[in-house]
Amino acid sequence: MTTLARTRSWLGLSLAIGVFVACLLVSLAFGPASLSLHDLVHYAITGPVHGDPGNTIFWQIRLPRVLLAFIVGASLSVAGVILQDLFLNPLTDPYVTGVSSGAALGATIGIVLHLSELPWMAVLALVGGFATLGTVWAVARRRARIDVFVLLLAGVTISYLVTAVISVIMIRAGQDMDAIVYWLLGSFSGRSWPEVKVALFAVPFMIVPLFFTKEMNILLQGEKRAMQLGVEVETAKRVLLVAAGALTAIAVSVSGIVGFVGLVVPHICRLLVGPGHRRLLPMALLGGAAMMGIADLLSRTMLAPTEIPVGVVTTFVGAPLFVYLLRRGRKTA
Amino acid sequence: MSGGPEGRAPGGQDHVRSGEDGAQPGEDGMNILALRDVDFAYEEKPVLRHVSFALRPGDFVGVVGPNGSGKSTLVDLIDGMLRPGSGEVLVQGRPAHRYRRREMAREVALVPQQFALDFDLSVREVVEMGDYCRAKSQQPDGDAESTLARLGIAGLAPRRFSELSGGEKQLVVLAQALRQRAGLLLLDEPASALDVAHQLQLFDLLRMLNSDGLTVLCILHDLNLAMHYFDKLLVLSQGEVAAFGRPQEVLTPELLEEVYGVHAYVHHHAGRTFLTFSPRRRREVRGRVHLVCGGGTGSHLMRELVDDGYDVSAGVLNALDGDEAVGRELGLPMAVEAPFSPVGDRAHAENVELMALADLVVLTDVPIGNGNARNVEGISGALAAGKQVWAAAGVRENDFTGTVAQLSGSGLRFFDDEAQLLAELRRRGRL
Repeated sequence: MTTLARTRSWLGLSLAIGVFVACLLVSLAFGPASLSLHDLVHYAITGPVHGDPGNTIFWQIRLPRVLLAFIVGASLSVAGVILQDLFLNPLTDPYVTGVSSGAALGATIGIVLHLSELPWMAVLALVGGFATLGTVWAVARRRARIDVFVLLLAGVTISYLVTAVISVIMIRAGQDMDAIVYWLLGSFSGRSWPEVKVALFAVPFMIVPLFFTKEMNILLQGEKRAMQLGVEVETAKRVLLVAAGALTAIAVSVSGIVGFVGLVVPHICRLLVGPGHRRLLPMALLGGAAMMGIADLLSRTMLAPTEIPVGVVTTFVGAPLFVYLLRRGRKTA
Repeated sequence: MSGGPEGRAPGGQDHVRSGEDGAQPGEDGMNILALRDVDFAYEEKPVLRHVSFALRPGDFVGVVGPNGSGKSTLVDLIDGMLRPGSGEVLVQGRPAHRYRRREMAREVALVPQQFALDFDLSVREVVEMGDYCRAKSQQPDGDAESTLARLGIAGLAPRRFSELSGGEKQLVVLAQALRQRAGLLLLDEPASALDVAHQLQLFDLLRMLNSDGLTVLCILHDLNLAMHYFDKLLVLSQGEVAAFGRPQEVLTPELLEEVYGVHAYVHHHAGRTFLTFSPRRRREVRGRVHLVCGGGTGSHLMRELVDDGYDVSAGVLNALDGDEAVGRELGLPMAVEAPFSPVGDRAHAENVELMALADLVVLTDVPIGNGNARNVEGISGALAAGKQVWAAAGVRENDFTGTVAQLSGSGLRFFDDEAQLLAELRRRGRL
């Protein structure tokens, strides 16, 4: 096993690409109205056509929703890798920075003010997310350095604070409360191209970390050692934290708070390709996308025509898996 | 680095001037590192004061000093991680804190005291992290494997770092630092967690690297290792440079007493010089013991008594006798006769005098022959004068003259072994 590290990882990555493509096809094919592989190819080639119900399902409902799920899954998973490795804490997920709570607050305000149409929802959520990130950042900044442990604690604290504010709003919200709860649970229901357009802004933030894989590897030895080896640690931290924050804020703004993907997928990917980021980041990108795609598929098919919020599905799948991984990890440690 | 065609004189670094205090203006061109009157404080607590010294390319220098004397802070200042409060830290003539991290990593490589990496990375990946500061085109001297091979651990490359032993990890981190190809290597207590075999392996490797031109500055605690391996030692004491120079000139008992607050003794044995230590003497007077010994029968007792705080004297011993050598290293007053000569009048008189000063006279199980029978004569006199005298029971079998037998009945007390004697003395406290 030890001498096979490289073989193992390339095998893992090929496997991931295979699984990714399979998930993409399955997610596109199944739903209340199933489409065959032949249909998929046909619709993809002909492009959007008016008046053909199958074509409309594919282009106006299925494809944007699946794309959105894939982008959100990839965003959360990549953000999870970045934050877990910057904080050197395996229990970190994208939501500990407080960004998600901030975004949720923005969205909650949007719902209460009946601005729950794009672009307002996305704008409010993004503003809330970045405002929280800025606050947490300011707290953690000392003498031009970001103390990641203070950042972690400040994030968790501000998260609680913002959640408390959301609770107050919910109590006062009356009939909007259902909408808020549903939004907080996370869902891709009814999302279409406008949300996809917002989500596409996440793509550059997924790509940027790929240029910092060496720095991220070296940072696994701690910030001081990284500086000794020549890494401009503060710069790297800033870029990576902003990337992770932006990915989280964008993901939350279009889908609500979908739990567990950002926590569990990075761990699964480490088991498959090891902790080196040159392979881990692409793997997390593919793995997060595939997992979210499948979770969304389950959410819309398991109790069809009723939809289960996707956050519930990821939690039901993710929680047992994570407990299993924790126990397994303890044995090998 | 390739600018210096002249090789280093073997085992020495004495260039035109002695390097005792090279931090003088105009010499920076020759110095790979120079500290000038450096002060540093954490918050309000001063850590380093007026530190000045310089290293030339090819220097092999150990840094010793008590815990909290500022050694690790010194390393962080040199590496530009900290900025001096006042004074200058110059690496290749340029202030260390002005370097960008990547540039600094090309000049100074560091092996840290603690190294934490809990992730499942391979040794090869860990070593390759050292390449970070170098562009890909700047890697003429082989890959990570070749660096591991240079350290004799090529076989570790595919292993997982987290599975290695402490000694192996230390060497892998050294390999990581060497990948930086910096001219100056700093090590912060690299040997502290290593067993003796790995310690020697590490320091031999450092010597080898040094002979290939690497300048080494290494913090360590073991003063004997420091003395054996390094060309020069820097002694830090309470944030100040207490000494900087050749080990045997620097590590004197006086300096060690001052810096560490312990008694140090310099021994020469089996072609080596080494140090041993005793705790600082207690203030109270415990009394004076005179040993009549020889042939190594008293060496251990001498040391034990000295460590326990007694004033110890001995005699008559022949010069170059084992006990005489130990007594000399411990700085004891002794009555000494020429080598292989019977006890003469002068030495005997001195011995009688020393006995008179003692509260207790101890006769070890030294063989008694014609050459040293006069020592027993001296003891007889001491007994007659009412002095306490204890003799090892074994001395009776080693007495080839019958003189000890004549002492029985005169108040002489026998003890079975050293442990019994020491226990009795410790019970009594003051003599």
